[in-house]
Amino acid sequence: MSQPRFRIRILALHAFLLGLALLVLVPFTWMFIASLKSQEDFFSGMFFPPGDGAFGIAWDKLTWGNYKELFNLGFERAFLNSVFYSSTSAVFATLFAAATGYVLAKIDFRGRKFLTVLVLSALVIPPTLLIAPSYELLYRLGMLDTAWGLLLPTLSPTFGAFLFRQAVKQSVPDELLEAARIDGCSELSIFFVVVLPLVRPMIGAFMLITFLGMWNNFISPQIVLQSEAKQPLSVAIAQLRGVYRTDYGLLMAATVVSVAPVALLFLMLQKQFISGLTSGAVKG
Amino acid sequence: MHMLSTALLALRSLSAGIWVIVALVVVSFVALSFSSRERTASLEMWMFSPEHLAMYDPVLEDREAADELDLHVSLMSIAALKSRMMSGFFGGLDTADLIEVERATVGQAFMGPVDAIGFRDLTSRLRDEGLLDTFNPPSLSPWSVDGRVFGLPHDVHPVMLAYRADLVEAAGIDLQQATTWQEFFALLQPVMTDADGDGKPDRYALSMWVTQQDNIELLLMQGGGALFAADGSPTVDSARNAALLAEIVSWCAGPNRVVTDVDEFSAAGHQDRINGVAIAYLCPDWMCSVWRMHVPQIGGKMKLMPLPAFEPGGRRTSVRGGTMLGFPRTSKNFDRAWEIAMLLYNSPEIARTLYKEVDIITPVQSLWSDPVYDEPDPFFMGQAKGRMFIELAPDVPVRTSSPYNQNAVLEFRDAAVNLLNWANTNGVDEPDALREQAQQLLHIAQKNVARQMARNVFTGVE
Repeated sequence: MSQPRFRIRILALHAFLLGLALLVLVPFTWMFIASLKSQEDFFSGMFFPPGDGAFGIAWDKLTWGNYKELFNLGFERAFLNSVFYSSTSAVFATLFAAATGYVLAKIDFRGRKFLTVLVLSALVIPPTLLIAPSYELLYRLGMLDTAWGLLLPTLSPTFGAFLFRQAVKQSVPDELLEAARIDGCSELSIFFVVVLPLVRPMIGAFMLITFLGMWNNFISPQIVLQSEAKQPLSVAIAQLRGVYRTDYGLLMAATVVSVAPVALLFLMLQKQFISGLTSGAVKG
Repeated sequence: MHMLSTALLALRSLSAGIWVIVALVVVSFVALSFSSRERTASLEMWMFSPEHLAMYDPVLEDREAADELDLHVSLMSIAALKSRMMSGFFGGLDTADLIEVERATVGQAFMGPVDAIGFRDLTSRLRDEGLLDTFNPPSLSPWSVDGRVFGLPHDVHPVMLAYRADLVEAAGIDLQQATTWQEFFALLQPVMTDADGDGKPDRYALSMWVTQQDNIELLLMQGGGALFAADGSPTVDSARNAALLAEIVSWCAGPNRVVTDVDEFSAAGHQDRINGVAIAYLCPDWMCSVWRMHVPQIGGKMKLMPLPAFEPGGRRTSVRGGTMLGFPRTSKNFDRAWEIAMLLYNSPEIARTLYKEVDIITPVQSLWSDPVYDEPDPFFMGQAKGRMFIELAPDVPVRTSSPYNQNAVLEFRDAAVNLLNWANTNGVDEPDALREQAQQLLHIAQKNVARQMARNVFTGVE
């Protein structure tokens, strides 16, 4: 293919992709602009409030007031809670899932097969079914309305254990583990020094999945946590909705505050995320 | 120590993104530890209405200045209040010392054995202090279970008929003469003309539709129907309910229907109100302030009158909505909380402000002599609106506190929608001809409600 025709194709392809990217950005743009509108102007225009300013827009009607109001309502606390729950859950769930996956994949012990089947079969139970028994358990343990009550059930995800089991099986050769043992490495050291670095792409991917899962988790905190001071953003945002009246500008501002940090995190971890998800995909 | 350093050494190969998440754990933990927001006030009150809070604030501030009242008031959305209150009750957790809660929200709290209800039983306290008789008697019913009172009523919310007097009087009609719904619709026939020739009346007599469950419920109660018996068992398919359902649906059915659906809270509905699409509206006391705020254009054009009755000599009012003040059992300082409740719910100043600001009349009968209720209201062409509502207050229907009321109301509404479809399909619009089908649909509704109730191990019904 000649060079100019190739360039035109590339340009056309990029233009098409740019169009799609813009399409994806439309709802986010709408959300951000809506977060700058007051309740009175919320329905006055599709994007911007109409007025006499440049491009027929009432620029003076756009305000940061909703964001200020969020902080008056104490949203910074809910934000901090969300960061704490999500990051703690992501770090520890990844660590425990990796350890479980390693044990199920590489350590020989009696009942390993049974345990693996048990972990696998736990995957088919819909999480919704576990809400009531989990609540009962947390109630009996006196862990309702505590951060531990929310975090503990997320720290050993069966999905993660199975994911890491497969990753360890594919990425960690038995010979390497034998060599480490001959060199006098303890099992814990082998896990940290040999295994974890080899499953690095999966760590990034799984951490992000867990972080996002907890960040967007609404049902569990809604059920487990009762105090306002312990609630994460997902619950705090839902509670902005009134029965007779909802301040949509405020709701959109809260949603922006909720979406922006995870979008940033995804941008930071996207390489790991993609490599983790595709690891093993081209292994022959 | 050696293990830790080995682990850190091995983990240093992890990406920056992963370390950012690890750093977030540490930073957020430290930040949360230093920004602990524990409850510091000796008393906590939860409420959902900013209007109520605005009324209470001056009184509470005076009291705080006088005797160092230490009360923290949390204002939250109804959804937030419900979820926090219920999770507190279910989990045996701390809630507040006082909770102001709406009728639609409180039902769930009354589920289960009476002794396990999350609110404190106030019956003996009210009796001991001679307060039981001070409240408008029917206004205690939504907050009472098995004869025990679990909340102080905030309001009465009687319902009247508000109508566009400018249009009616211009047509030479004296609507105040109408004592029954039949007379009411007959009197308004001349106004329901089709001037624009589109085959439909330009105006309808009443704003009401089968999908408006709150209005359906209030009409049902006005007509003497009931979805639950006094013992809490469902009576959705009673003969009286079927007769009322047939009557109400007949208003909506056929080419000669006399009612229309003007939305109650949307801008489109307000525009219809301004245009006079419906002549009359079912109007609880609180609705007056909604109109005053959102549709000032109809001010000075409206008049109020008691609801026309379903039969001659029948009830001329009904009730819609309501709020109570309850005291969770977990409250550590009930006596102090009670003092605040008396201050807020028995105060002549707050009762007066309640009426002046949001048109709501107090349920405390001794405060009804306040002259503020006799003031002419220009919005309603100078009528003494407050006094008119008060005269109807003792006659508002007794309501159920069943936690399944909302289910039953929705089932009843669905029956109404299905009956209307049946009526239009079969070209039937006479109440007598609709009654049998209404009865059948209500049997289904009754079964559905009973099935829901049977799932409750404490109140299971067969």
